[in-house]
Amino acid sequence: MILPAVMLLVFFTGSAAQPKAGYIAVPGGEYTVGKKNYPNNPVRTVKVRRYFIAVYETTNRQFAAFVQATAYVTDAERSHDALVFRPGLKEFQWISDSTACWRYPNGVGAGGIDHKMDHPVTCISYHDILQYCTWAGVRLPTLDEWEIACRAGTKTDYFFGNDAEQIGQYANIWHGRNHLVADSSDGYMYTAPVGSFKPNPWGLYDMYGNVFEFCNGKINASESGSIAHARGGSWWCSKNACNFFNSYDIGRVNIHASFSNQGFRVAQSN
Amino acid sequence: MKIGIPFLALTMLSAYCATGQDTLGGKSPSKESHDYDLYRLQSSYPPYGLQKVQEMVRNLKLHDDTVGFGAKRTLSQKAYLSLSLREKFTYHMIFPESYSQNCSMMPPIPDEQDKIFAELPEAFGEYNWSDRQTKFFLANRDSVIQLMRECIAKDKQVGLNFKHVIVDISAREMIPLLISFYNGHKRDHDLLTVLMLLMSESEYDQFLLSASYKKLYADPDASYKSFLIFNTANEALILKRATDFYNGLHP
Repeated sequence: MILPAVMLLVFFTGSAAQPKAGYIAVPGGEYTVGKKNYPNNPVRTVKVRRYFIAVYETTNRQFAAFVQATAYVTDAERSHDALVFRPGLKEFQWISDSTACWRYPNGVGAGGIDHKMDHPVTCISYHDILQYCTWAGVRLPTLDEWEIACRAGTKTDYFFGNDAEQIGQYANIWHGRNHLVADSSDGYMYTAPVGSFKPNPWGLYDMYGNVFEFCNGKINASESGSIAHARGGSWWCSKNACNFFNSYDIGRVNIHASFSNQGFRVAQSN
Repeated sequence: MKIGIPFLALTMLSAYCATGQDTLGGKSPSKESHDYDLYRLQSSYPPYGLQKVQEMVRNLKLHDDTVGFGAKRTLSQKAYLSLSLREKFTYHMIFPESYSQNCSMMPPIPDEQDKIFAELPEAFGEYNWSDRQTKFFLANRDSVIQLMRECIAKDKQVGLNFKHVIVDISAREMIPLLISFYNGHKRDHDLLTVLMLLMSESEYDQFLLSASYKKLYADPDASYKSFLIFNTANEALILKRATDFYNGLHP
């Protein structure tokens, strides 16, 4: 089912449902998700109700409004245990920075977000995000909803096909061979302003890269309650390490962990 | 000292049953591959104050009891300082204080028992050692090596947590023990991975120039999922290189 975002918006404009600013509407129905010969996320047909999903990842500006309204204190601000990245670290190595939090995603030393209000909010945990969603009257997409929106009707590894070399047009990722040396070859070492790269066929930006996007749901019922899942890869991810900037991989992280490459986009049911 | 599988590793295993460069073709992993995967994830449990440490860990209070299940728990500085060095060793080896990244798990690969991987799998699932813990291993390097030697000799096993520490502190002194242990058991191909990582970390010329190094660590497409096919030739080559490397360190 390939429905460009414009068609979706026209569809809903002409029906009882009204399009929501900043969202695309995904019609209810059956969709194909998963990857062939990929037991973690096998090809299957799933049925979903109509939902709306945000065009952009949630920004620092949006999260700041939540904090201003609620005086909410994030996990990282409370526990001082956010994990940050600096060039020179080995693959998959992150370091704890007691000063890091959403206001200082890579620690006070790396600067704040004053000039990055249109970047995705990071250094927030799944637990923090649930509080934001409650306040904002939104929710996280489910794992299937995220994939349906990301795929935009495609069945390939990427929404642009299977040619991994095109990823740089669509995603803020790490292009370096490793993480020992800084990589800003695409203009950004850390996060980029949301919408800086080309969107997917439905008009959704940053479905790959920029930040891992938390989703609701479990891969199987036996999973620990301490695990949350996030998808789409991040600015840190490279083809040699991680490589999760695709339509099928599903990451996992502790629900209270705060990393500077974790963020989210929201969804709504109505 | 008991050998066990970290509870979190079990969770990870059930969630991620198979993927990687070499996919399963839609089939479940063979029993042999599955068993080897479980074997790879086994950790070593040091005996030093094990019951005391386990009890302390069980009684840890959350930073904030309101944040719910899964909040990270860390032994307070006071309680931590009350532990002897050996007990601290046990605490660090069995209780990671920090978190691991979304995508850092090693996707299971079919026929694992027939492969020599470039990297080790994660030891603790969604958790990882904190800065305090990695600093402990480095700051007490000689003691940590000695304690691991004792545990390995007693348990006849090199747990995944030990392997990570050996690499993290570049414990090249342990190469003869690792080779001897490998030759005595032959099953644990991750010991060959440890040897390669030690040579790579030390930038050992003969290894950096090898086809193995190129394939596993240097090729543009080499990734943390890369592996060599296990065969006697590859096995012998790794063991010989590691021996030569060690002998070069101690002429």
